[in-house]
Amino acid sequence: MKQSPTELTAETEAAVARIGEADLLVGVPSFNNAETIGHVVRAVSGGLAKYFPHAKAVLVNSDGGSSDRTLEAAANAVADLGAMLISDRQSLLHKIITPYHGIPGKGSAFRTIFEIARRLKAKACAVVDSDLRSITPEWVELLIRPVLEEGYDYVAPYYLRHKYDGTITNSIVYPLTRALYGERIRQPIGGDFGFSGRLAEHYLDKHVWESDVARFGIDIWMTTEAIASGARICQSFLGAKIHNPKDPAADLSSMLVQVMGAVFALMEEHHETWSKLEGSNPVRLFGFQYEVGVEPVNVNVDAMIGSFRQGLADLGPIWRAMLAPDTFESLKPLGDCPVQAFHLADDLWARLVYDVALGFHHHVMPREHLLKALTPLYLGRTASFVIETQGLTSREAETRIEALCRAFEKQKPYLVERWEERPAS
Amino acid sequence: MSEFWQTALVLPLTTLADNVLAILPNVLAMIIIVTVGLITAWAAGQVTERLLRVIRVDHLCNRVGISAALLRGGVKADPSHLVGRLAYWVVAVFAVLAALGALNLQPINQFVQSLLAYIPHLLAAALILLTGYLLSNFVSQAALIAAVNAGLPPARAVATFSRWGVRLIAIAMGLEQLGIAQNIVVVGFGIAFGGVVMASAIAFGLGARDLAKEFLEQQFGRKGVHPKDDLTHL
Repeated sequence: MKQSPTELTAETEAAVARIGEADLLVGVPSFNNAETIGHVVRAVSGGLAKYFPHAKAVLVNSDGGSSDRTLEAAANAVADLGAMLISDRQSLLHKIITPYHGIPGKGSAFRTIFEIARRLKAKACAVVDSDLRSITPEWVELLIRPVLEEGYDYVAPYYLRHKYDGTITNSIVYPLTRALYGERIRQPIGGDFGFSGRLAEHYLDKHVWESDVARFGIDIWMTTEAIASGARICQSFLGAKIHNPKDPAADLSSMLVQVMGAVFALMEEHHETWSKLEGSNPVRLFGFQYEVGVEPVNVNVDAMIGSFRQGLADLGPIWRAMLAPDTFESLKPLGDCPVQAFHLADDLWARLVYDVALGFHHHVMPREHLLKALTPLYLGRTASFVIETQGLTSREAETRIEALCRAFEKQKPYLVERWEERPAS
Repeated sequence: MSEFWQTALVLPLTTLADNVLAILPNVLAMIIIVTVGLITAWAAGQVTERLLRVIRVDHLCNRVGISAALLRGGVKADPSHLVGRLAYWVVAVFAVLAALGALNLQPINQFVQSLLAYIPHLLAAALILLTGYLLSNFVSQAALIAAVNAGLPPARAVATFSRWGVRLIAIAMGLEQLGIAQNIVVVGFGIAFGGVVMASAIAFGLGARDLAKEFLEQQFGRKGVHPKDDLTHL
């Protein structure tokens, strides 16, 4: 059943009608990003002018009610094309600055962007975060050209990251998504994507816009939905992603609830797809890859192990209810081993994540409690990874993540067999 | 002489027989009602138990902790069986009350009426206690997880305090419904709870100034899981 068309404001409707049709569309969702959005808009403008000078392009800023002059900053940002050595100037870049309707969150912003792309019949689109400091005009080419010229439907980002950046992605979301859906998308919740107009229409037809996906699950939803729908997928190397910290005081357990809640909910929806797949395939990577030295990252391993051990002591009954008996028993030796011997093995971690997914599916306890109780386990796994990889470069640490992914793939039958079984009373 | 026997013996016996004959239909009705009622009660108990097993109520009770609570109280029977027994006894009690009503005796009728008037309060109190029990488990589990994730050492104490706080409120509300020592329970509960809250506020505000400062800084000024971490999770 098709969704009803997304509501646009009268001014936006008028702007869309004036423009008529467009070849390319770049969306920038925002909320109180006055400090950075000007740079993003200039980078996008420069990228469209430099790499797609003859295409009719539209930049859409979909805003969630900013109170800090974000809209003015976006409207007034003009790229200095001369400084960027761009002489072959394209036709005027159309800008649409619009508020979005719907429940507050990035998902509602994307819905507005997809709707405008649909009405303009855009062939290739991209969305980039509005708080990026490291975006360059090259990002626009890397996210759009694979769609426009190579026939891909979805371009996931590939960032240059420190080995300890994005640990939820490295230890859970990437290995799990790869094992489930068979595609090695290294950063499935990157935040900056390219996609075809066809895929944007497909997204609009889904009934997720009034759910939690619209609040904080849109990134993983877009990636998972693209894979499950059979879209052609690739990745583009964008270099480092430097952005304003989204919420420095963000609670880790809330992050896990949001991200893992979305991942597990999508598992329920796409069970028919992932239960039949085995192994995984590499995903083509565009862009020129390079390495640079990165700032050292301080990690408090003792605090993480302390959190894990407190969980083992105080959350024992809850962990017993959400994990298989073997899995829980295997965690006990970690309660009192020396710090340097603290090692949460790959197979055990894979089974543990699958147990939590099964517990989510079978409602063994309130779902929010289940996901929040995962926090000390995740910290234990992160501490184990840090201990294993101290002294390794980011590239060397990547081989450990590859080994973890293979463990997830090897343990997948464990998940598939138990998905339909109800746990014993 | 025959008149004497007639008056002294036959008349009382005749009166007694008349009274017995007058009440006999009522007694017969009572016996029939009790018999049918007990058979109906047995059937209701069986049907209830089987229905609850089919819809997996035992599994649900296990998940929300009711089965564990029953085991701790020394009750080994399944919740389905217990509810089946409860259905049996409810129907049986109603059958007995109806049977007593069939006797049509004034004192018994008054007793039955006042018992029936009390039943809604009994049901409301049972509902309050059950809801309070389930809510206390939910709240204490949430508090325990939050306390562990925040790294608070007395996490279990926080959870226990939360659990018993909710249960005491539910017990006070239940006793109020039943009309048992209403004023004492409400006032006593208010004094105890208010005293605990005031003592905690004083201890936290004065005795734990530094801890409060650190806690508030962590809540409103912290930069990550632990201040010394630069690690980004997403």
